[in-house]
Amino acid sequence: MSILEIKDLHVSIEDKEILKGVNLKMHTGEIHAIMGPNGTGKSTLSAAIMGNPNYTVTQGEILLDGENILELEVDERARKGLFLAMQYPSEIAGITNAEFMRAAMNAKRAEDDKISVMQFLKKLDEKMDLLNMPEEMAERYLNEGFSGGEKKRNEILQLLMLEPTFAILDEIDSGLDIDALKVVSEGVNAMRGDNFGAMIITHYQRLLNYITPDVVHIMMDGRVVKTGDAELAKRLEAEGYEGISQELGIELTEK
Amino acid sequence: MSDTNWNNYLEDIQSFSVNQGEPDWMLNLRLSALEKIKELALPNIERVRFNRWPLTQVADFYEPLTEGAVYSFDETKDSPLIVQNGQTTVIEQLPMSLIEQGVILTDIFTALQEHPQLVKKAYMQLAVKYDEDRLTAFHAAFMNSGIFLYVPKNVVIEEPVEALFFHQANSEANFVKHVLIVAEENSQVTYLERYQTLGTSQTKQTANIMVEVIAKNNATVKFSAIDQLGENVYTYMNRRGHLLKDATINWALGVMNDGNVVADFDSDLIGEGSHAELKAVAISSGKQTQGIDTRVTNYGRHSVGHIIQHGVIREKGTLTFNGIGHIIKGAKGSDAQQESRVLMLSDKARGDANPILLIDENDVTAGHAASAGRVDPDEMYYLMSRGLHKAEAERLVIRGFLGSVIGAIPLKEVRTELTEVIERKLN
Repeated sequence: MSILEIKDLHVSIEDKEILKGVNLKMHTGEIHAIMGPNGTGKSTLSAAIMGNPNYTVTQGEILLDGENILELEVDERARKGLFLAMQYPSEIAGITNAEFMRAAMNAKRAEDDKISVMQFLKKLDEKMDLLNMPEEMAERYLNEGFSGGEKKRNEILQLLMLEPTFAILDEIDSGLDIDALKVVSEGVNAMRGDNFGAMIITHYQRLLNYITPDVVHIMMDGRVVKTGDAELAKRLEAEGYEGISQELGIELTEK
Repeated sequence: MSDTNWNNYLEDIQSFSVNQGEPDWMLNLRLSALEKIKELALPNIERVRFNRWPLTQVADFYEPLTEGAVYSFDETKDSPLIVQNGQTTVIEQLPMSLIEQGVILTDIFTALQEHPQLVKKAYMQLAVKYDEDRLTAFHAAFMNSGIFLYVPKNVVIEEPVEALFFHQANSEANFVKHVLIVAEENSQVTYLERYQTLGTSQTKQTANIMVEVIAKNNATVKFSAIDQLGENVYTYMNRRGHLLKDATINWALGVMNDGNVVADFDSDLIGEGSHAELKAVAISSGKQTQGIDTRVTNYGRHSVGHIIQHGVIREKGTLTFNGIGHIIKGAKGSDAQQESRVLMLSDKARGDANPILLIDENDVTAGHAASAGRVDPDEMYYLMSRGLHKAEAERLVIRGFLGSVIGAIPLKEVRTELTEVIERKLN
C-alpha cells in the first residue's frame, strides 16, 4: 500500500497565495473527490502535486510513502508513480500518440526491460477498445486537432497505459457529454484496485454518479474545509456550495 | 584569397581537361570561368557572413585512388545506382530495360565523351550560368567530378535512381562536384542523392557542389537529398531547378552537415503552369554555421512555388533560412507560399528565419510564415509529466517539429533514412 500525504501546503503563483495550508492524506485503494467552487485552488493543488514549475510551494510538504517529493522534477515524480490528467493538455505536432505513449511507458522501465512493440500494441488495442476510441487515434499526432472530448479520453488512455500509483484527474468531466462521461468513468473504474488511488477534482457532482468516491473533500479559499463520504457530495448537489459555506462561516468570493 | 593568381592554374586546368578527353567547348568554358573568378563577387546570402571561409581555396585536381571498396552494396538489387568515392566512380549500374529506353546514368566525364551534345545543351547553360558569381565561376573552372542523369522523352522510371557521393576527409583534392539531371518532355524520375564525408581531418577542406535539374515540358522530378558533409568541410552548395511548361520538381532536402555551409536551393519556374515544392529540414550544432537561401522565382503564368523549411539549432550552432519568393511581372495567376521556422535549443544557439517576398505582378497569391523560437515550456511539462526524461522529451519535440516536414516527403525510404540521420545528429 502506498500513501500520498499533503501537509500544510501553501502555494503561490506570481506572489499571489492560492493554497493556504492544505492537509490531505490518501491511500491506494481509495478514490478521493475534491470539490469546490471555481477559483478555490483545486487545480493549483493538482499542479503543485505534479510539480508544475509555474507554481511555487512556499510552505509545507508533499510526501509519497514518507518521502518528500517537493525537490523532485515533474518527470521524476511521474516515474515514482504520480499521474495528472490535465484539463488542457498540450498539442504536439509530429509525434504520434502511440510513439509518445510507448516512450512514456519505457521511461520508467530498465534498459533491458523495454516493452516490446507487440506487447505495447496489444495493450493499446485493449485500452482503446475500452474507451471507444477509433484505432486511427493512435497514429494521429499527440492531441493535435483533437476535440475537447477526444483530449479527455486520450488523457484517460494514458492513465490506463501507464498504470500509475496515484492519479489526479483535473476536471476530467468538464466539456463532456453524458456518453463520453460514462466512457471516461468506465476507464477510471477499470483502474480501481488495491494498488491504485485517484484524486478526482471536479466542480460538479455529476461525475460522482459514475465514479463513487470513498472520501469527499470540499475546498474553499485555498483550504480543505470539510471532509466526508460520498453522501457529502450528494448534500452538495442538493444545497449547493452556499449551504456549506454558510455552515462553516466562509464567505464565497466566486461570482 | 584575393591574392590568388588564378593564371597559375591555367596549365593545370588545361592538362586536366585534356586528360579527361573533354570537348573543346568544355575547356573553353573552364578557361572563361577561370578568367572571371577574380572580378566576380561572392554570392549574397542575407545575414550570413562567409567571406572568410576557404571556399575558393585551390587544392589538387586529382586525388590518389583509395584502396579497397568502402561501400558494400546489395548485389541482388539492380535498381539504378551510381556511387562515387571522391572522384572515382566505384559503382555504376542501370537495368537493361532502362538502357534500352535511352536512359543515361554515368559519370560526367564519360558523358562528355559519349554524349557531348546532350551535356553541352544543359551544362551550366540553362539553370546556373558560370559567370553568376565567384563561386559558380570557381565551380566551372575547377569541376573535377560529377554525374549525368538523362531521362528521354516519355520515359517513366519507376524505381528511384540513387547516387551516393563519398568525400574523403583527408583528401588532398577539392570536392567540386557537378550533378546534371535532364528530364525530357513527359518523363518522370525519382532521384535520391547522399553526400557523406568519411573519416576525420584536422585540415580545412573545400567543397563546391552544383546540382542542375532541367525539367522539360510536363516532366516530373522527385528529388531527395541527404547531406552529411564533415566537420572541417567548408561547403558551397547550389541546387537549382529549371522548369518548363507544366513541369514539376518536388525537392526534399535534409541538410545534416557537420561543417560550415552556405547553400542556394532555387527553382526557376520558367514555363506556364510549372510547379515546385520544396521541403527542407536542417540541424546545426557544435559551432557550425549553415546559411540557406531557398528561392522560387515565378516567371510563368499560373506557376506555383511552395517552400516549407524547418530547422533545429543546438549548442553554439547557427542556422539561417532565407525564403525568397520572387514573382516576375507578367506571371499572372501564379502562387508563391513559404514557411520557414527555426527552433533553438540552447541559449547560445542562433537562428534566423527571413521571409523575403518580391512581387512585381498584381494578379497573384503569395504568403509567408516565419518563426524563430525556443521549445515551448508547456509542451516540455506535458511530456515530462508522463515520466519522460528532459532529454527524451526534447528529442520528441524536435522530431515532431521536423517530422511535420518529413511526413510530407513522398518517398518512405527517404523519410525513414532522414529520421535515422536526425537521431544521429541529435545524439
